[in-house]
Amino acid sequence: MRDKKVETKLRLLTLQLENWKRLHDFITYGLDKARPIISAEQERQFTEIRANLLQETEYVFGALNTVSDLSGKAMNVLQRASSIRGVRELTNDEIRRLETEWNGVFTKLGVIQGQLKTLRKDLASQTPIQYYISRLFMRPARAH
Amino acid sequence: MPLASAETRLLVLNADPVFEDATLDILAGMDGLEIQVVRSLSEAIAILLEENFDAFVVEAEAASAVDQAIHIRQHFPSLRIMCVVPPWKATDAIAAAQEQNIKIIASRTSWRLSRGLAAFVQALEGASATPSEGIDPCHSLIGNLNQFSAAEILQMSCLSQRSGRFTFKSSRGNSEIYLQQGSVRHAVYGSLQGEAAVAEIFRWRQGRFYFEEGIISQEQTVNRPWAHLLIDNLQKLDETMELVGV
Repeated sequence: MRDKKVETKLRLLTLQLENWKRLHDFITYGLDKARPIISAEQERQFTEIRANLLQETEYVFGALNTVSDLSGKAMNVLQRASSIRGVRELTNDEIRRLETEWNGVFTKLGVIQGQLKTLRKDLASQTPIQYYISRLFMRPARAH
Repeated sequence: MPLASAETRLLVLNADPVFEDATLDILAGMDGLEIQVVRSLSEAIAILLEENFDAFVVEAEAASAVDQAIHIRQHFPSLRIMCVVPPWKATDAIAAAQEQNIKIIASRTSWRLSRGLAAFVQALEGASATPSEGIDPCHSLIGNLNQFSAAEILQMSCLSQRSGRFTFKSSRGNSEIYLQQGSVRHAVYGSLQGEAAVAEIFRWRQGRFYFEEGIISQEQTVNRPWAHLLIDNLQKLDETMELVGV
């Protein structure tokens, strides 16, 4: 069987992770000294990803029940990385902090995604009747 | 919810999939569906070129959704497309979409939306993957196979890095070869697909052909470079001609 709530969480998480990965690609590009040119189009794409993350992170973290764990780190990353040019001008300490916080968010989201996929796999092998019986007599499986 | 086949894959274009998720929410409850979400048209085209999807769903404001769907139709003539839009009365746009074989659900009520999507997904079951005839063909090259062989015209098109669809019509039937940036991407002739279809078309000496620029196949059945195909098929053709000579 398929649980709509799990599917929705996975969808939100996949979209969120996709944006975090893209943000990281641009940050890496910005920090790469061998690539001196930053085009207006790259900056536009970066701003678009950042805008998506700014408006969606709170909602997605809320749906995943991870606001307290991730919200602060995510906002720090988004505030520091204001543009690709801005990333290039960060000090070494700020870059290290940016990378650590990005990694904290990405790792946690990745772990939750794995848990949700496991849950989905378990659910797929159950019929709705088996699922409801297991909910009646056992503790429900939790994603996180 | 009705069951779709296990392989049913949907690509959903939605610029705001987190907050405007009525369609995604309904699709998430359907068994046997694999859904991939993209936020922009360019992402959608890139993914459709790389992967095979059974259908494409656009969820957006009416005018934008129809515009994007028509754009996708021009590049992927065999793809099933649906627009999910809020209720609106632009009958011209509806007519234009229907002309392009694009289905539209214009509804705010979730049960109607749900019913429409379920019917669409159910119709995908057992749907043929064979590309259909272009809706609005714009022939940029027309000719006869008795003047130019298939090998010659394909060689010319591949060398000039063309993307589009060749349609060959003869007494044997119709066949299609899809090019993408100078490479053969997909070929179909009756039940034959891929290199077997290309080999068959190479042998045709009668019939006519036309080329439609910019039509790209969603499917990829040919993976070898054009030069390899050409050499192999010419060799086979020579062997065939030798046999004919005997």
